[in-house]
Amino acid sequence: MNGIRNKTLRNTVRVAVPFIIVPMLAIGGSLAFDRKRHIIISLAIAIFALLLFAAGFEKRNTGTRRMVIAAVMIALCFAGRFIPFLKPISALTIIAGIYLGGETGFLVGAMTAVLSNFYFGQGPWTAFQMLAWGLIGLIAGLLSEPLRRSRIFLLIYGAAAGMMYSFIMDIWTVLWYAEGFEVKLYLAALGTAIPYTASYVVSNVLFLSLLAKPFGEKLQRIKKKYGV
Amino acid sequence: MRSFSEYNPVVITIYIFSVTGIAMFCNYPLLIGMTFFGGVLYYIVRNGRSHWRSHIFFFMLFVVLAAANPLVSHNGVTILFVMNDNPVTLEALLYGINSAAMIVGVLYWFRNFTQIMTSEKLLYVTGALSPKLSLVLSMSLRFVPMFHRQSESVSDAQKAMGLFKEDNVIDDVRGKMRIFSIIITWALENGIITADSMAARGFGTGKRSHFTNFRFRRGDIIFLLTDLALLGICVAAIAGHCLELDFYPKIRGSAIGAGAIAGAAAYGLLVLMPVIIETEASLRWRYLKLKI
Repeated sequence: MNGIRNKTLRNTVRVAVPFIIVPMLAIGGSLAFDRKRHIIISLAIAIFALLLFAAGFEKRNTGTRRMVIAAVMIALCFAGRFIPFLKPISALTIIAGIYLGGETGFLVGAMTAVLSNFYFGQGPWTAFQMLAWGLIGLIAGLLSEPLRRSRIFLLIYGAAAGMMYSFIMDIWTVLWYAEGFEVKLYLAALGTAIPYTASYVVSNVLFLSLLAKPFGEKLQRIKKKYGV
Repeated sequence: MRSFSEYNPVVITIYIFSVTGIAMFCNYPLLIGMTFFGGVLYYIVRNGRSHWRSHIFFFMLFVVLAAANPLVSHNGVTILFVMNDNPVTLEALLYGINSAAMIVGVLYWFRNFTQIMTSEKLLYVTGALSPKLSLVLSMSLRFVPMFHRQSESVSDAQKAMGLFKEDNVIDDVRGKMRIFSIIITWALENGIITADSMAARGFGTGKRSHFTNFRFRRGDIIFLLTDLALLGICVAAIAGHCLELDFYPKIRGSAIGAGAIAGAAAYGLLVLMPVIIETEASLRWRYLKLKI
């Protein structure tokens, strides 16, 4: 469906966003600038990564069908965020990543963050939520083969994704609060966030074990029936 | 004579990011205080005396954030008292208050921003960056109420067929799960139909237009230029090390000179711009009403 030029572009974006931009955040921020500037650097790089993704998405000839299916998944995630305590967003993002590919997974995670923050409050943290949820979907897409085969691996990945989300968001909390990274504050933030981390892990495992199979079958069926 | 919320969305976005960007970039207490004051003032001008619940929430958040730093960090030379063998220092306390004021101030600004920027305006702004992503967003926004309506009609149909009762918990949960499953299948199929319909109408063949057109008026351009000029002065003052303050080990600020005064005055004016616009608009309205 896609030409070679588009394919290389897709691969470049796929590799560049998680493996070049994010480490740049850590290394560039700590080496080139003093600690006061960490927050701006990290925010700028998060936004840059998202813009890069948007540019790649814009250029590429994504099928209309795939785009609409992504919009459906985003709407379902968004509706799920209103469930108290248990949030199915990461689980649905992972499912989207596995069955529709990493790029769609990233799209679903990132756009859900933007959309649901209309109700839960937009802020500078939106960029980090977008990146965190997007990466969860992207990595699920890259690991799609083993995740599809082994149920236990899927549940482990879900638990790990819940913890990863919490850890990423706490880095942001500390950077914002202290204008520089302090290990002590980070540990304190992780400590206070334990109930949230636990709820992420529990809801990921729960929703993945409940939804992964039926949802996957539905998506597979759609793919087979319409050739998305 | 428009109120601030009626300005061009692009201009409003640039404004909000320049105010909060400076607040997050610079930890000078005077600027932080201005951010906080401006955010709260504009929130009150917009909402009047309602929303006291969010004021209470922000106040409690402020207290927690301000107390967190002196309890965790023990830098600083002026010891106030010793708790659990750990010294609580004046510097760490002031640093905590400063950070808390910054965070709560930025939260107030973004609360204002969320109130002003309706989803339609945000789609306009994202549409300028990436029309495709903006389309995905606006479709999802539409799908949410649509799924809700469809799930209600499915539920009615199921109940009418006697497939589940609401007074039996297990039966109820099973019925809800079934409805959820039906809705997902329906949503995916419906999405495909939508996509085919879009393709049939020539989606992607030409340039896309917006539902609402926000034009750049003279007021928008003046506002944007003022915003950029004030931002420039402020950034120059910060880059020239005129507005610097170290909390640790001892509080030591840069000397107050012309640069510091210019930077602070520019930022103060920047922060007050929406309030000035709102006041001007409401005064003019009152004047016009008086003339009738």
